[in-house]
Amino acid sequence: MYTRSAMFLAVLLALPGAAALGQTSRATLVKQSDIIFIGTVTQVGAVAVPEVPASDRTVVVHVDQVLEKPAAVALGAGDSVTVQTAQPGSLKPGSQATFYTTGWIFGQGVAVREVGHEPGHSPVVVADQQAAVARARLEMNDADLKAHIQKAAMVVAGRVEQVRPAELAGGAPAHRTRISEHDPQWQEAIIQVQDGIKGAQAGEQVVVRFPTSLDVAWVGTPRFTVGQEGTFVLHKDSTTGSPETVIAGRSVPAYTALHKSDVLPKQDAPRIRALIRKP
Amino acid sequence: MRTRVIAATVALYAACGGATRQTPPVKLAGVRVVDLIPVSLSGETWQDAEPFLALYASNAQLMAASAFTPNPGGSASGTAPIFVSNDGGDSWTLRNTLPSEGMTADITHAVGATPPVLYSGILKVPGVPLNELKASDFFSPATMALQASRADVDQPFVRTAQAASADRVYVGLNDFDAPDGRTATVDVSLDGGATYKSRRIETRATLGQNGPSIRPAVAQDRTVYVAYFGWRATAGSTVTSDIGVVRDDSGAGGATPFRDLLDPSDHLPGRLVATHVTIPWSNAPTLGQERIGSTLSIAVNPLHSDTVYLAWADRVGTGDIYTVHLRRSGDRGATWTGDLRTVTNATNASLAVSANGTVGFLYQQVTGSDSSSRWVTRLEQSRDGFTTHQDAVLATVPANSPPLQFLPYIGDYNGLLTRGDRFLGVFSASNTPDSTNFPQGVVYHRRVDFATHRLLDGSGATVAVSIDPFFFSVPVLP
Repeated sequence: MYTRSAMFLAVLLALPGAAALGQTSRATLVKQSDIIFIGTVTQVGAVAVPEVPASDRTVVVHVDQVLEKPAAVALGAGDSVTVQTAQPGSLKPGSQATFYTTGWIFGQGVAVREVGHEPGHSPVVVADQQAAVARARLEMNDADLKAHIQKAAMVVAGRVEQVRPAELAGGAPAHRTRISEHDPQWQEAIIQVQDGIKGAQAGEQVVVRFPTSLDVAWVGTPRFTVGQEGTFVLHKDSTTGSPETVIAGRSVPAYTALHKSDVLPKQDAPRIRALIRKP
Repeated sequence: MRTRVIAATVALYAACGGATRQTPPVKLAGVRVVDLIPVSLSGETWQDAEPFLALYASNAQLMAASAFTPNPGGSASGTAPIFVSNDGGDSWTLRNTLPSEGMTADITHAVGATPPVLYSGILKVPGVPLNELKASDFFSPATMALQASRADVDQPFVRTAQAASADRVYVGLNDFDAPDGRTATVDVSLDGGATYKSRRIETRATLGQNGPSIRPAVAQDRTVYVAYFGWRATAGSTVTSDIGVVRDDSGAGGATPFRDLLDPSDHLPGRLVATHVTIPWSNAPTLGQERIGSTLSIAVNPLHSDTVYLAWADRVGTGDIYTVHLRRSGDRGATWTGDLRTVTNATNASLAVSANGTVGFLYQQVTGSDSSSRWVTRLEQSRDGFTTHQDAVLATVPANSPPLQFLPYIGDYNGLLTRGDRFLGVFSASNTPDSTNFPQGVVYHRRVDFATHRLLDGSGATVAVSIDPFFFSVPVLP
């Protein structure tokens, strides 16, 4: 399906006024990919790694330039990659393209699954593709963040004034006596709102629950410390089973910020506001 | 690919007549230690802790392994990886086939009767619900199929048995939704995972729950033993616990399974091998950067189910942090020896019994102190109840490097199995390519430079030291 989209994109790119649509399609490919490279097909119906059986969907691609990859992956120009194509027969020997892929098998070599490919006007201008992929990645990051913000109950720029043990209701599952390595060890951060971007106003205080556990189940989850400043994307607490907490004797909603993109630098506030306004 | 093989020595200890005598180090022939990280992930720096292993009796080449290894591409695909080998563990590839966002929060697995069927129990990310999974072909790129799922469960531990008609799957787990605080549970499937029944094995009052480790072991005659912690009281971070074992003589297929072994003190199911032991429950770096509190392992002689071994860890109180105990029963769990082995400041005990009756005892121990402390991974073997034993040091690595990224540091458990004339297992340890760290030798497939003790990425740049999973194969004592 994505290969068809990419081929359609190639046709569109040749048409006047097609660039904007082309950008959108490229962004879609980028979003679904974690390994992106420019390469030249050397064999079809073949493999470059012993772990994958050859089929009419596998091709071997010589890597001309890696545009994006995870740091852990050893892949560079000159390597041969086995690509499981989205559609048999879609690539011919000698054809050069930008490949949008996801990692499939990591062994003696790398095998990837094609999300789509963007046929190049051979030779592909590497600098142009690097810039295009970078633009598309930025565009998708913004789109993802905007979608994330739309689902959030509140977005604020502010400062953490206090961190305290979580005030969980007695019946909440997280409050029941339970000894487990995965215990989140909830705490609450009280944030003084300096800029209410969504769902709050400057001067308010909001309570954000966060895990302090070092356990693997909570690795990468944002943590809060007194004095920390930032732009916080907050969600109503649907995790602890205790949706409310107490501040200054008042019962108030509790929020969580469990995703890495829920805590952003304070200087991102104008960008977040612009994203919200962007149609 | 750069492969480095280092030959080294093995220590052989013999204790005779109660007096320990250490003989000079002797190299064991045929020992292999292999870093699971493939060359194509040479830039990997994650803390690949808590390894586990599954293998077939009928095919020596096929194996599956796991650790807290993330999907190299991140969490967007909603999958996490397992390692697979089709050459008997000499090399491994990573495949993203688990339905969990990037990584799991717990994982164990075991094979079905017919290769390459694999069953797995995971705590899925996010939310950590239990997923009981099956792959008809674990080499397939397809995501493993979900067979059952529920929340509020800890430490699923999978074992399987081969019945004529279908695979039997036993998933030991701590089910917080079990009634009366008797949370020690085994999910039993007699039909290849198509259906599961949750069987409660605790018959006594608890402090509100059992400990997280519930460990099944299955013999070929379908005798199933399950070890568990009977948590009775708590004071601060210290738990007073019994060490219990239940048994079922017919594969746990009856209406009231796990009731075949009674304790003489109260005639209730569940033999209490040790009572009122002190479990130091610490969910913080406590022993060589590792947390402690859930070490438990049981293994049955596959051909003679009368013989069963049990290991657990507690705090003895003589200045120890955590002490592993190993005991044996020769009468189906009715009576037990005292400690055959007592190992101070150790964790991650794993047991296996080979077809010739030799018991393998894998553990990881902190030796030395402060900046000189080391994690030492050993496999001991004995055929005479540890009157004598053979000791192979598989790894000895700094305990304070690399710094932890999360807990567990090296794992709440590791894996030991046996097939034919070999013990096969996995452990996690610091991956510094230093030949002195691996006395039995080691094979790296990821890029390394032993001369400078450096890990290298695909471009030749230095990569930070991290925790890697290691596979090993050791000949069984004849």
